[in-house]
Amino acid sequence: MIRYATRRLLAAGVQLLIITFVAYALFFLIADLTGASPAQRVAGKGATPARVREIAHIMGVDRPWYAQYVHFVARLARGDLGYSFQRRQPVSDVVFPAAGVTSSLVVGAAAVWLVIAIVVGLVGALRPRSLIDRVLTIGVQTSIAAPVFWVAPMLSFLLAYQPTQGKLLGVPLGRHVDWLPIGGYVGPVASPLQWARHLILPWFALAIGFAALYARFVRAFVLEQLSEEYVKTARAKGASEWRIIRHHIGPLVAPAIVTLLGLDVGVALGGALFVEQVFGLPGLGYVGLSSIQNLDYPLTVGTITFAALVAVAANAAADLAQAMLDPRVRVG
Amino acid sequence: MSSVAPPPASVDLAELVARGAFEDFWRRFRHDYVALVAACFVVVVVTAAIAGAPVVAWVTGHPPDRQFVNGLTIDGIPLSPLSRELAPDGLHADPHGQFFVLGTDTLGRDVLVRLLYGARISLFVAFVATGIALFIGVVLGMLAGYFRGFGDAVVSRAIETAMAFPALLFAVGFAAVIGAGLTNVIIVITLFSWYYPARVVRTAVLSLREAPFIEAAHMTGASHFRVMFRHLLPQLTAPIIVYATGVIAANILFEAGLSYLGLGVPPPTASWGQMLSDGVSNGLYRVQPWLALIPGVTLASLMLAFQLLGDGLRDALATKSAT
Repeated sequence: MIRYATRRLLAAGVQLLIITFVAYALFFLIADLTGASPAQRVAGKGATPARVREIAHIMGVDRPWYAQYVHFVARLARGDLGYSFQRRQPVSDVVFPAAGVTSSLVVGAAAVWLVIAIVVGLVGALRPRSLIDRVLTIGVQTSIAAPVFWVAPMLSFLLAYQPTQGKLLGVPLGRHVDWLPIGGYVGPVASPLQWARHLILPWFALAIGFAALYARFVRAFVLEQLSEEYVKTARAKGASEWRIIRHHIGPLVAPAIVTLLGLDVGVALGGALFVEQVFGLPGLGYVGLSSIQNLDYPLTVGTITFAALVAVAANAAADLAQAMLDPRVRVG
Repeated sequence: MSSVAPPPASVDLAELVARGAFEDFWRRFRHDYVALVAACFVVVVVTAAIAGAPVVAWVTGHPPDRQFVNGLTIDGIPLSPLSRELAPDGLHADPHGQFFVLGTDTLGRDVLVRLLYGARISLFVAFVATGIALFIGVVLGMLAGYFRGFGDAVVSRAIETAMAFPALLFAVGFAAVIGAGLTNVIIVITLFSWYYPARVVRTAVLSLREAPFIEAAHMTGASHFRVMFRHLLPQLTAPIIVYATGVIAANILFEAGLSYLGLGVPPPTASWGQMLSDGVSNGLYRVQPWLALIPGVTLASLMLAFQLLGDGLRDALATKSAT
């Protein structure tokens, strides 16, 4: 186990180095090639060339790019993500609060999609080809097809905006209600209730597509297992369907779902970008997008590095968890 | 008593013809009505994009970028589907005005015409990017799986690392740095879609290379190149076709996502993602829901069609679903 864990973590470290290198090369080198000078940007239009050179020296952008990269990695190792050109504050001061918002969104959404997926998947697997299974399958296929950047505004329109106009799903309510806010974010420490109220729609918006994918996976997996010999044995011994699901199939499906979750953290961060945009949540996607628009490269690289760190760590954690749950992985 | 029954006399042996791979596939596929409908829908959308867009623009007389001053109400709200241009007072429909089948957009342009021209961009980007990504993926996956060794290790690590990238965030950053534009969108999408096919092909080749027919090919003196392209590749067509359907769907969504964030093909060229974001980002879709409904439903239906088509192809080609 220790050997496996060391190897896996080493691989994760190398992956992270490569990702930061690509991010760095991409944003700093290409910015140089296209002639966008960060020092000029900070110094302002009226600055003398000497002053621009001085500022470039302070910012460290006058050194060769590989030296800058080594410096960047050395700082990264100390947990320092750099200094934002535009906001004039350390990148970590911007990225960490934003990461809190994004993790609220992604973790909550993951909880929502797991619950939906397990319920829908099990119902379908236990009653295959029944009417309810067919209806659920249609729902699943449609949900996979619906893009998150369409689902999010539609949810916001139907469940947050329309009730304030006295309608729910187009049906007149007779009075104006605002159960769910149209956008914005409240920290969980300030008010847990307001935090959840502001995040319910974002959670569902992000979760629907994943819920459908996972439900399809759970249904196929459980259906396949139900025809296995060990299930027949369990049935012959008089085990109830619930017991078979809970004690025989459950321990097999759990590690598979954990691996999927680990792989999907990176994908969910991408989806979170759109959800944050629609609901005005100040998360990583929001910070990253605005930094790109402002040519604030340290912030862009910092955000991407941090997101990659989370994705790579989640991936490694999922593999380690699976190795713990399944001895075949760590031995093979 | 003989254990083998003689062939019935009524069968004329001359009529027994071996079925080709395609015929075999078609015999199964034509009974899958869901997949057939999905295939027809895809064909209709492709035809509408290629031929329909200029035809509809000509019939209605509405070029995709033409802004109709009376195509917006006096409050600047776009018209609903099946409505006529407003009279100069901006309140009442002008009985002799232009007719908009799917209404107008935020700038008073014809939504139907833009939807058709947008389909061109979406499909073109998705097909080209998928083609290049599949080419890269198949070649890399085949080389890695066939020759194993150091090259395989490099390719495998590259695939794992590429999969660890937060793809969308990176793509957005990349698109922002190299700028918007048709070629750049294709480059960005290709960069983030080659590794899944590569992984699938590599895994398939790893098990196929041990098969007796490959050994036989080697023994007859076939070169590595010949074994890969004449013996292995035909075995991979079915999974590649099934996989391609999924990648095309994913890439249509990818293009729409980039356009939605303003990093796709720059305006005024129409694209579905941009039509959606035009209506949504300024909140105008709350007053005129059609702005979000039309491009959203079109996009989702095309996704659905590709998914169902992919499922049907997988069943008819009798391949196991990859990943």
